[in-house]
This record gives sequence, C-alpha cells and structure tokens, in this order.
Amino acid sequence: MKKEGVFKFLFAAAALFSVLAVVVISLFLFASAFPTIKEIGPINFLFGKIWKPSNDIYGIFPMIVGSVYVTGISILIGVPLGLFTALYMTYFAPKKLYRVMKPAVELLAGIPSIVYGFFGLMVLVPLFRSIFGSGKSILTASVLLSFMILPTIITVSESSLRALDNSLLEGALALGDTKEKAVFRVMVPAASSGILSSVILGVGRSIGETMAVVMVAGNQPRIPGGVLDGVRTMTANIVLEMGYATDLHREALIATGAVLFVFVLILNLSFSLIRRKK
Amino acid sequence: MKKLAVILMVSAVILSLSFANGASETNSKINVISREEGSGTRGAFVELTGVEEKIDGVKVDQTTLDAEIASSTSVVITTVEGDKNAIGYISLGSLSDKVKAIEVDGVYPTTESVKSGEYKISRPFVMAYKTLSETAEDFLKFVMSSNGQDIVAKKGYIRVDDSNKYTYESSKKSGSVTISGSSSVYPVMEVLVEAYMTLNPDVKVTLMQSDSTTGINDAISGKSDIGLSSRDLKASELEKGLEYNVMAMDGIAVIVNNGNAVKSLSSETIRDIYKGLVTTWAGL
Repeated sequence: MKKEGVFKFLFAAAALFSVLAVVVISLFLFASAFPTIKEIGPINFLFGKIWKPSNDIYGIFPMIVGSVYVTGISILIGVPLGLFTALYMTYFAPKKLYRVMKPAVELLAGIPSIVYGFFGLMVLVPLFRSIFGSGKSILTASVLLSFMILPTIITVSESSLRALDNSLLEGALALGDTKEKAVFRVMVPAASSGILSSVILGVGRSIGETMAVVMVAGNQPRIPGGVLDGVRTMTANIVLEMGYATDLHREALIATGAVLFVFVLILNLSFSLIRRKK
Repeated sequence: MKKLAVILMVSAVILSLSFANGASETNSKINVISREEGSGTRGAFVELTGVEEKIDGVKVDQTTLDAEIASSTSVVITTVEGDKNAIGYISLGSLSDKVKAIEVDGVYPTTESVKSGEYKISRPFVMAYKTLSETAEDFLKFVMSSNGQDIVAKKGYIRVDDSNKYTYESSKKSGSVTISGSSSVYPVMEVLVEAYMTLNPDVKVTLMQSDSTTGINDAISGKSDIGLSSRDLKASELEKGLEYNVMAMDGIAVIVNNGNAVKSLSSETIRDIYKGLVTTWAGL
C-alpha cells in the first residue's frame, strides 16, 4: 500500500510539471506581450501592413496572412496525399510492402526540420525556379510543409481507420460494393472524426514550423500577391530577427509569438471539441 | 467523397494559376537578396550605398520590400549560387568561388583595395573605450600586436598593423575585462579573447554580443571596458569622451551568380537595384 502511495505521488508530480510548464510559458508570453501590444496599439500591431523595426513600425498583418497561406496550401496538398496513403496502407497494401512503408513513414516524422529545410533549399528551390521562375515562394514552402505533415496525417488517420470494427467493411462488401467503394463510402465517413483530428494536428505542425520555412519562403515582410511570391510567416519573423533585436523590437517579436500561440490555442480547442462530439 | 473532389479541384486550380503567373515573368528579373533588418552587414551596406535615406531627419532603410530576406551569410551564398538572377552582399571574409564578386565603381573587392580605400563598401571594426584599466590596456595591446592581427587576417578580415608592427609578450596580468557590442565583430573577437586568455590565464575576459550602438553606449556609461562597433563612431559619440582603435577592416562584397555576365556595377546602380528602381538585368 505504501509503495502505491509513493508512485501515485511521483505520477502526480510528473503530471503537474507539464501543466506548470504550460502555465509558465503562457504567463511569460502574455505578460510580456500585452504591454507591448498596448504600446504599439492593437490595431496597428495586428492589422498594420508595414514591418520596419528600424523605424519603430511594427505591423504583423503580412506575417499573419503569410502563416495562413502557407499552412492552408500545405494542408490542401498534404491531406489528400496523406489520407490516400493511409487508406492504401490500411486496406490495399500487400503485407511485405506495408512492412517497408510503415517504418518509412515513421522515419519521415523523425527527420529534423533543419534537414527538411536544407532539402528544400538545395532541391525544391532550384526545381521550382526552373518550372515557375521563382524559387522561394509560398508554393515551395507549402510543398515542403506538406511533406512534413504527412507522417502526422498518415499515422493518425491509419490508427483511426484500424480502430473501426471490421464488420463494417465486411458488411459493405457483402452487400456487393467493390472494395474501393466500400472504403470511401463506409470506412472514411466512419473514421471522419479521427481523420479530422489528423488534419488539425497537421495544421498545428504546419503553422508552428520554423527552420524549414525560413530557408525556402523568401521572408519578404509584405502581403503576397500570389502563390509564387515570397512570404514571411510569424515563426520566420521571430527567428530571423530575435538575434539582433533590442527593446521594443524584441518585445514586438515576443508579441508575435503570443499571437501565434493564440492561433495554436484555437486549433487545440477545436480539436478537443471534435473529440468530444465523437 | 464529394468534399475530397472539391479540395482536389481547388488545388488543381491554384496550381494552374501559378503556372500562368510564372510564365508571364521575364527571365532576367533581378532577384534581390538582402539580410534581415538589424543585421550589422545590412546596416553598413545600406548606409554605404545610400539605400538608407534621411526622410524628415529620420534614417529610413529603403530596401525594396520585394527583396528576399536571408537569415545568414551562408543562406545568401547558397541562394546566389543557385539563382542566375540573384544579387546579394556578404562580408568579404566569407567570399568563396561558389559565387562571383563584382566590381563596384570599377574596383574589385580585395583585401588590398579595401585597405587602400579604393573599394568603397567597407567598414572598420572599432574598439571604443573611455578609460582603460591596466588589464584592458594589455588586452588592447594584444589585439593590435602582430599576434592579434594574425588572427584577424586568418579570420578573413584586413589587418591594420602595417605601420606599427610589434610582438605581444604576456606580462601575466590578472584581473577582468568586460567587452560588449557588435555581432559582426563578435566572431573574430571571440577567437582573440580565447587566445589572450591562454596567454594570461589569470585574466577573465567577459564578451557580450549585442549591436554596435549598444556596445558604444556601454563604453560611454562604463558598463563595459571596451565597446565593439562595426561602423565608424559618430561625432556625437566622440564628444562624450570616447577614444578608439580601429582593430580591423572588413569589406562588403556584392555577389552575383557565377553564370551572370555582369562584371561591374556603379554604386548608384547597386543602390537603385536595392531600392527596387532597377528590376531587370537587361542593359546592365
């Protein structure tokens, strides 16, 4: 009995630690961000279109737009690709192939983002430059990010598909559906909440990605005119200038982090809402 | 299923739109590469080329918003290396044959042309101080000696000890020295500090990285013994009783792709390219 008590305490302490970490980070972010945003002016900060720290002009609207663009397009590319892969791996792949595919997908998740960045800079950027005429762009960053979110989407979708009762598929097949039709009409809708979760996790990974994006996005702090224009995301803005920034400039970068944090918070909230619905 | 089809259609439309967009772009459009705001190299470059303008008494960096922002010297080099239409600028110490440096106003950037002052885009690395402690003075003596200047030259910067060569001999000082300032000077200063502390094990040198202006202000207020700057001191700063030593010179090389036929540009053209007024290689 006594031993059990000790371990209970240990587990509680461990759990408390991660909660504490979140609280401390949130406190730090918002405590330093609020006065800054107040000083710059919330409208000027959030909707200002000019970012010129050397002249004390801090508008992060172009970066917000940039993050939304890059994340949105990476989801458009990554989700169909990932979902189809998950479907193939769950229902169609021969066992031998599956044994290769599964570790490959897991390895994809383990590649450090700076390596993705180098791959993007050395391979994707020249390739896109020769096809479209501009190498570092929203499109390049989105394609690279779609690679990076694939493992998340594939793994979460696959596990939610595997969690389904096999009788669903068998029933559909018994009614005379082809396997493709049964998978799309019966299994995908049945696993929809799990698949949606994978999308939201993918969005979270995509919007928070930094090192890889900085290397391939061009980082121009202005509102892009099209998908072939370069773009600066909120994460890129922080990491680019943090090393040099002082005073209000530094505070403005921390406030950018707070805005990003709010975005991720909203994502996680919607994620848990979907979970609860299920 | 229908939703999926819609998503696929939308991405197809976006892709085809971008194809159309790409085709209309001319091939010789200049791709301007800049460093991030606040970088010492960018600060010196925009000041020396006139990209920075005074508007209503306030200095405004007029670098075109279309300029691609590279986060470090190596990213500038990699980008220019792979892009026929790119132009960028880097510290002369980092120049290699992966990219081509161009002549500015007819002068090619070399350690000699920077030293003689013929190559205009160059900046001094300055150590500024008010009063020096015995230990700090000894450190300064080391930096300016041929031992220190050898390190400067080895790091790719231009030595400044031609008229006054002497060898540093350690007198085994003890005490502490605080140095702060420019992140551009930091890499070479770090090596100098390490070498000095090997010769004088009892001296504790603390080196802090900020920027030139902060370093100079630290020297004025006495927070640091020595402030580091990668630009000349302003008259207003000298008035506050600062003295200084130029410890090295650094050129800023303007670089283009090895496949680019352009060999030389005037400083006015470089300025206009960075301000976004000249946007195509045709005719340059």
